Amino acid sequence: MSRRSGRPLVQVEDLQKYFWENDSILDRLFGDDPVPVRAVDGVSFDIHEGETLGLVGESGCGKSTTGETLLRLQEPTDGHVTFDGHEVYDLGGDELTAFRREAQVVFQDPFSSLDPRMTIGETIRQPLEVHDIGTDDERRERVRDLVERVGLSPDQLDRYPHEFSGGQRQRIGIARALALEPEFIVLDEPTSALDVSVQAQVLNLLDDLQDEFNLTYLLISHDLSVIRHVCDRVAVMYLGEIVEIGLVDELFENPDHPYTQALLESVPRASTDERDRDRETLAGDVPSPRDPPSGCRFRTRCPMVIPPEDLELEQETYRELMSLRERIERRDISLESVGDDGQFDADDGSVPDEDVPAFIAAVKERLLDVPLPPRHDAIVEEALAELAAENWEAAAERLRTEYESVCERESPDLGEQAHPVACHLHGTASERTAEPDSWT
Amino acid sequence: MTEDILRVHDLSTRYFTQDGQVNAVSNLDLRIERGEVFGIVGESGSGKSVTARSIMDLIEPPGEITGGEIKYRNGEFAETVADEHPNAVNGEFVNLLELPPNVRQSLRGTSFSMIFQDPESSFNPTLTVGEQLAEAVEVQRRASARPRSTRARTQSEEYSLGNFLLSTVLPSQKYITEESRERAIELLELVGIPDPVERADEYPHEYSGGMLQRAMIAQALAGEPDVLVADEPTTALDVTIQAQVLDLLDELQEETGMTILLITHNLGVIARMCDRVGVMYAGEIVERGSLEDVFDEQVHPYTQGLLGSVPDLEGATRRLQPIPGNVPSLLDHEMDDRCYFADRCPKAMEDCLEHPPEFEVPGSDDHEVRCVLAEMEYAESRAVPDDHFSETSRTAADKHADPDRTEDDVQPQRAEQPVDDSGGDRL
Ligand code: SF4
Ligand code: SF4
Repeated sequence: MSRRSGRPLVQVEDLQKYFWENDSILDRLFGDDPVPVRAVDGVSFDIHEGETLGLVGESGCGKSTTGETLLRLQEPTDGHVTFDGHEVYDLGGDELTAFRREAQVVFQDPFSSLDPRMTIGETIRQPLEVHDIGTDDERRERVRDLVERVGLSPDQLDRYPHEFSGGQRQRIGIARALALEPEFIVLDEPTSALDVSVQAQVLNLLDDLQDEFNLTYLLISHDLSVIRHVCDRVAVMYLGEIVEIGLVDELFENPDHPYTQALLESVPRASTDERDRDRETLAGDVPSPRDPPSGCRFRTRCPMVIPPEDLELEQETYRELMSLRERIERRDISLESVGDDGQFDADDGSVPDEDVPAFIAAVKERLLDVPLPPRHDAIVEEALAELAAENWEAAAERLRTEYESVCERESPDLGEQAHPVACHLHGTASERTAEPDSWT
Repeated sequence: MTEDILRVHDLSTRYFTQDGQVNAVSNLDLRIERGEVFGIVGESGSGKSVTARSIMDLIEPPGEITGGEIKYRNGEFAETVADEHPNAVNGEFVNLLELPPNVRQSLRGTSFSMIFQDPESSFNPTLTVGEQLAEAVEVQRRASARPRSTRARTQSEEYSLGNFLLSTVLPSQKYITEESRERAIELLELVGIPDPVERADEYPHEYSGGMLQRAMIAQALAGEPDVLVADEPTTALDVTIQAQVLDLLDELQEETGMTILLITHNLGVIARMCDRVGVMYAGEIVERGSLEDVFDEQVHPYTQGLLGSVPDLEGATRRLQPIPGNVPSLLDHEMDDRCYFADRCPKAMEDCLEHPPEFEVPGSDDHEVRCVLAEMEYAESRAVPDDHFSETSRTAADKHADPDRTEDDVQPQRAEQPVDDSGGDRL
């Protein structure tokens, strides 16, 4: 079926999309440097003809930006996308028009993506007019076919969007996307605004249409159940990067990346066993894409973050120490509020010598939940003593020498294996490190 | 041993709109036991949020509770109000709908608290989170120091517009007492906010979505309520954060023994949290029972359809079994006296053309269903012809289902802002 067999229909290579903050003329006048927000930061994947690739992740991970950028609805910061062998960002003139016809998009929100002043007949016909396809009669015929195909009645063609329910509007959006007989459709959260019973209708419809018209889909969703149900392969995104990509069954049954594992564990199952299911909940929030963590971006939350060799510490304790380090490095502890009101106040901001031990005890009490083995207790106390003198750098340094992880030094890449995973526990770096399963 | 803390009987809530009377909740019965988590699950327009708001006394015009009883068990409270409102009291139960608004309002925060999908609505952006929690604590403290009947006045002054404006002009209006500040910090700690001492001094916008959700829970707990009504508490959150918040609610419930009424469209959240469940459709509970009754032994075709519509996270890909059609119109003049699900039901029979009562389902104490299949087998010979409802179903685009946007349950989560601020910059 593939005309040029073997080559993927869509190839995305090292795609980057940054947004810039402080980038106005005023900012430049005042000398504020623009800050990049790395929405998409070097993602690569292929989509083969006839398949559905899922892009899953939480808000802010860059999945929708990826979809829009690869369709050239946004200009990329860097990277390549080829569609059917043509470099998308080099297209112009007729070629660009052809690309716009072949590659369509269905958005999440059926309430705002349809023009309220156009009847649905006009809405679906519009792309045919823009691309100047067919005679009036042919267009009319095509529009009728399309509405019927998506499960609406041609009697409804002269009605306006507000007369339809959410599910019906999403069907209209799909009919419009199909009007130009595209090969490829980006489905951006197509059912997130719908009730579950209606979502099921729309998912079944998308499935049928794919078979019938040999469509290739990129499905962007935060809903793991939908992804599992619809996709052939899945890419999991975290903070602008792909952390794992693989066949859907493989990825759901044997997720390798700690983030994928956590994501899957977090979904509450609609079954009576749910309350008894063992689950490990991920702590913390997603860091800002303005200043993503060095190395592995998941390391600030990863329960399996890799300790230096021969560090005899429970994984859980190590995780806590890493979180403590993170806060010291980000200066995210307000020293003034340690202890009872004004207990440790001194004029120059640092704690008077005689109070240092009490200060250390107070900070430890506040920031660490687990007791430390003596050797580590001593190290942490040394670092906190530096904090008492407001030497953030020194405190951070003391802990870094002792606890620095390969996960912060080196950015794991996806690798070339059949089921790519960007984690040092897998792939080439894994020989150096402990068995992934040793963490429980 | 367990006793009912809340009994809702025959509750009807209507909206009087230009298009006509909307029957958002109809003759609803509900019983919640002390210390349980009761879930109401349903889709948009099912009336689940309106039910929650009716219980909280948050129905606003053009909406109105038009009938029924909401009986709250609290012996002490019953005694306090017995003299002034003898009609409202029956033993330990007080029918809240017989009380004047100010007395009802006095229960808010102390007996009933509510958390919402959107925590921003619960916080004033110009005050620190700590100040607002301290305020809630303070209100509660003063309230319990005063007789019930005068409580409401103090409270409404507290939240009056004038006061709000004043507090924006004079940001120095600090914690009322050191004690309430400390309690505020304790509450933040209780809901798992890291480093609560500092966070107390931050403003709502400095919190990430998940943290603000926690802070809202803290605020709701300030008055140590008997019943926490949680309306889609995790719908706006990412799944890993949702898991954190559900864990938190679970722990709090276990520690404090409070009763939770959980409203959600998410069947997974129900399974994760609830002891008993009611499934709502078109303003009624159509099936209720223990979690097992409803998830494993369900009788109602709508319950089956709902469960069949959820794509399975674990399983092999089967074709989804959606429910055909759309949400029904709740306009009084468009609602026939029949099973409201009949136009979408694959098993609709002649017998369903009369509004079915709630039947008990044998085999379980608590399992009830509003469907004739509890009493009879489906018989093809009695099936209603396919075109029977075509007249009505064509108009059933759901524009009428949600007159007031009261049912914001399935919120279009904006896919993703290119620049996302909700992620939070901290750990
Ligand atoms: S590289 Fe390290 S921090 Fe990142 S996912 Fe793997 S173990 Fe966790
Ligand atoms: S009463 Fe009849 S129409 Fe209604 S749900 Fe039961 S079988 Fe279906």
